[in-house]
Parts: sequence; C-alpha cells; structure tokens
Amino acid sequence: MKAKRLALLGLLTTIALIIFVVELRIPNIAPVPGMKLGLANIVTVYAVYHCTAKETALILFTRIILGSLFGGNMLALLYSLGGGIMCLLGMLLLRKVIDEKHIWVCSVLGAVLHNIGQIIVAAAVMQTAAVITYLPFLLVSGCVAGLLTGLCAQLLTSRINLNDF
Amino acid sequence: MKNAKLWIIVAAVIFIAAIVWCVIIITKPPGEIVTISQDGETLYTLDLSEESDRTITVEYEGRENVIEIKDGRIHMLEADCPDHTCINTGWLEDLPIVCLPNKLVIEFADESGADAVAR
Repeated sequence: MKAKRLALLGLLTTIALIIFVVELRIPNIAPVPGMKLGLANIVTVYAVYHCTAKETALILFTRIILGSLFGGNMLALLYSLGGGIMCLLGMLLLRKVIDEKHIWVCSVLGAVLHNIGQIIVAAAVMQTAAVITYLPFLLVSGCVAGLLTGLCAQLLTSRINLNDF
Repeated sequence: MKNAKLWIIVAAVIFIAAIVWCVIIITKPPGEIVTISQDGETLYTLDLSEESDRTITVEYEGRENVIEIKDGRIHMLEADCPDHTCINTGWLEDLPIVCLPNKLVIEFADESGADAVAR
C-alpha cells in the first residue's frame, strides 16, 4: 500500500472516530439498547463506494475497536462488531447492484443489516430470544438513521474525490 | 443492470413491516407471569398479580442487579453496569428489560411458559 493511500485511509478513520466520540455525548432518546444515530457510518458508506473492500474493512474495524476503547465500553464491542460485519458484507454486495446516485438506499439497507447483526449477537450472548422484541424498534430507527447518514455520504461523494489528493 | 428502484422498494417494505411489527408489540396486552433469566437460565418465575412488594438481588461476576416488584409491577431498581439501559427502560410493559453486560432479562412469559407454571 502506498504511503499516500495509507495516509488517506488514516484520515478517513480519524474523521469517523471523531464523529463517533462526539456522538457518544448525544443522550439516548429511547431506552432501547443499541439504538443510536451511527453518524460515524457516513465515512463507512463513503468508503464502500470509494475504496476497495479491504480498505473499507480496515477503516471500519479500526474505528470500531478504537471507538470502543475511547468510549470505555468494551462490552459494546461485540455488538458493534456483529452489526459491523453484517453491514459491511451487505453493503459491499449492494455496491454491485446499486449505483452511486442511490447511495442512500445502500445505507438504509446497511443499517437494517447492522441491526439484524446486533440482535443476532445479543441473542447469542444472552442465550435468549427475548431480545428479538427489540428488532422492529431498532429497524425503524435504523432506517431513519441510515437514510440520514446515506444522504450525508451522497453529498460528500459528489464533492470529494479521493483520487484528487 | 443496476436497478436501484427495486432496492428502494425493498427498503420501504422493510421500514413499513418494522413499523407494523412495532405496533403489534406495543398493542399486545401484558401478561401476569414474568420470568427473570440470566445467561439462558431461568432464575425466577413470578406471578405479578400474587407477588407482594419486594426486591430481588441478582449477582453476575461480582456485579449486582436489584429488581423491584411494587404494586404488581416490576422494574430494575439498581444496576452497576456502565450504561443503565435496563433502569431507563422503566417498568416492564411491552419490551423486555435487558441488561446486556450482566446478561439479565426480565420478560413476560409466553403462552407455553404460563402453561408450565399452571402445571
């Protein structure tokens, strides 16, 4: 990997981390575990369309692991990873069937997959199916949040081209 | 061919289905039988209509959760986990009370669970 490319990926990861840490300060609106805006995923969605699969995975996993460390909640790491992996695989596949003008659709579906991944991990860790009751509430908030982050990524994509750097 | 319209419809269907699912959960009448389980094992099965007011302390790896039963309702009173989501959930109504760090779940038993208690 070229040093320039590495620096760019580092920059993207840092931006995602900063958004993540700032978002930690936003209080939860609903008492549903795992429900959040996920603004840091603006960077993930952007990377899905502008970086290779490997680069996107590097950005996402570095952000999740360092984010959990900074947030001081290592218990949340498993849930984030479960959701992150589902979301990443899904979006990398969707990238092939959804064009760049419809990034927001990809983002919404990515958020849905993230929620499903979170619930699967929660059900496995807690050894109970009770957590599935939370899924529809996560899905509704996930769709809205995914739309928001997707539109943000859409705005960025027409303005910033990584190859210009 | 990249067909974005198809995926917009897929996303819309998921969103609407999730809303309908939410409504079903919210409108479901609450039961009387409550189970408290940890790590997949049922610790307590309680009939809220017959329970007197009391608190139950559950321990997990040195961390404690205090569950309170009052006036036929149940909620998490104290927890020494970092997020306190379970306390913020309030009284048990539509959604199960879940403490992710301590793997504790308080929920209304489903039909089969209620049968098991009756037997």
